[in-house]
Amino acid sequence: MDEEYTSEYGPRWSDQRVERMLGVLVCTVVGLLLAMIVVVLIKAWPSFAHNGLAWFGPGGNVDDQLNAIFLSGQAGAEYVYTFHAWPLIWSTLLITGGAVFIALFSALFVAVFIVEFAPEWMSNVLQPVVRFLASVPSVIYGLLGVLVLVPFIGNHLVTEPQKASVAGVISLTGYSLLAATTVLTVMIAPLMVSIFSDGLRAVKPGWLEGSLALGVNRWRTTWKIAVRTARPAIVAGTVLAVARAIGEAVMLAMISGSVGFAPNPADGFIFIYEPSRPLAPTIVKNIDQLSSPPANATLFAIAAVLLVSAAFLSLTGWVARRSMRKYGAA
Amino acid sequence: MEFLKSPPPPIRRLELEDPAAARRVAPPAHPANGNGSSAPGGFTGARRSIGAPQFSIRRMEIDDVSVSYSNRDAVKDVSLPVRQGEVLSLIGPSGCGKTTLLRSLNRLTELTSTAKLSGRILLDDVDITLIEPTLLRRRVTMVFQQPNPFPMSVFDNIAYVLREQGSRRQRKKTLEPAVHSALDRAGLFEEVKDNLDHPALKLSGGQQQRLCIARALAAEPEVLLLDEPCSALDPQSTQVIEDLIVKLRDDVAVVIVTHNLQQAYRIADHVAFMYLGDLVEYNSATALFGSPREKRTQEYVSGAFG
Repeated sequence: MDEEYTSEYGPRWSDQRVERMLGVLVCTVVGLLLAMIVVVLIKAWPSFAHNGLAWFGPGGNVDDQLNAIFLSGQAGAEYVYTFHAWPLIWSTLLITGGAVFIALFSALFVAVFIVEFAPEWMSNVLQPVVRFLASVPSVIYGLLGVLVLVPFIGNHLVTEPQKASVAGVISLTGYSLLAATTVLTVMIAPLMVSIFSDGLRAVKPGWLEGSLALGVNRWRTTWKIAVRTARPAIVAGTVLAVARAIGEAVMLAMISGSVGFAPNPADGFIFIYEPSRPLAPTIVKNIDQLSSPPANATLFAIAAVLLVSAAFLSLTGWVARRSMRKYGAA
Repeated sequence: MEFLKSPPPPIRRLELEDPAAARRVAPPAHPANGNGSSAPGGFTGARRSIGAPQFSIRRMEIDDVSVSYSNRDAVKDVSLPVRQGEVLSLIGPSGCGKTTLLRSLNRLTELTSTAKLSGRILLDDVDITLIEPTLLRRRVTMVFQQPNPFPMSVFDNIAYVLREQGSRRQRKKTLEPAVHSALDRAGLFEEVKDNLDHPALKLSGGQQQRLCIARALAAEPEVLLLDEPCSALDPQSTQVIEDLIVKLRDDVAVVIVTHNLQQAYRIADHVAFMYLGDLVEYNSATALFGSPREKRTQEYVSGAFG
């Protein structure tokens, strides 16, 4: 009898071997993730410890603060940690929130169109196009933004009186909230469309047919059965897109204006032309200051905020999907 | 390939604990059935579970209907009446066009872009192409082969139809009586009344199919189309649904497609036998199974092919 057959029931370890190997791999990945979070938090701790909750609040010019922190590390004198990140957080919220809000609705309608309404040849063309757009490197979007969108906004949308009205505070050059939000929307929408349409495609045809056979028209059927059933995929796609938007650094560093300024909606409509700088581009911009220990801690603190919000986002998405799966949706 | 030569793993066969259990589900042997009997023409084993119809009103008229998909004819020149008070059963081997014919009765064939229909189908003497499709599909509802309850609660599955029919959003309270009555007519209310909030997909297969029938009935249809509603179900659930169909025939005109000849014989008043798109024979169930006029019917009914 063959060596492999240790008993009449077949090789004993085949399944358990695979199970254990995969288990070890998964544990390694989880371990690395935990180690990463711990390292970032430890490195970030001095910055949080010195500022307390005021770290997240407003106060002073954030660029000046970053500069002072950097210089204190070089002089060998007492370290300065004072840092109030509100303008950066506010910029992240505005740009990410605006982009996700616009992208969510447009992507949903595009996905519904591609899956439910477009003729077959059209969805056959659109599907690969969308997937390609979702994988374009963000630097290219940033370049297009700098070369096309920013000059357009600066030269044609912002009027001279508008520039003059805020002249003492900030200069409106086209590097703006509007440019950043627009390009970010264009960047994350294909990702959403791609995941949404996979979710819509996975809806059982029998459910749609059942609804149509009860005299519910196509639009209502799509809305109440297909989109409803695909909600977990919609949440998953949105979470991924938000995570990508929060973490986007290079493109936003190129076109957001890179100024530690909090655009103020109280200024009126003009605030969308005001420059700012979100959290992630701040790390990119100050990456050459890592040799200074207080600057190092401050940048790691920014990284920790990004990391924790990404983790929180995933958790929220997971909880939302769980409750949506209650009735057995895909 | 050394392992190919080694002996295969043994197949384990489960012993039936109680051999009598296998016999318990078999139908009782030929009880006398009032108006009489298993059919003579070689078709035995089934028994009629319904008596003669109390009345019959002609509701739909299929007039010289042909359906083709791109270049293949699925249904050729079929003419049939559909009557309320009776159950009409379409039988025939796979691919004979019976499902296509059924789907054309509420214009579901139009969802397939390659399908072309010629001829006329009348609902109460009005050509159905003149009726707005969503309106038609509320009057002529359909239940499919695979139970397809929506991924919602049992209550919402029924309420979905009612909510979509109403112009305003209705409260749960106001929908309750209609939902309960639909479930009751489908014979499901007693089983699910305590857990109307449970997911419909957690119900058993037979309950899911009855939920689909309840959903179709909630639209208050005039004609109910059933596409092999029992083919995915066990004998007990099949029995329940058959009883239900017979009960429904006075309120709605029932058309049922079935592969199961016994089932057609048990519950149908009229039977149409289709073969390769042609309507071979249309007759009352007793006549078609007892003394088929056509040779092909004779062969199919006695199990020679199909």
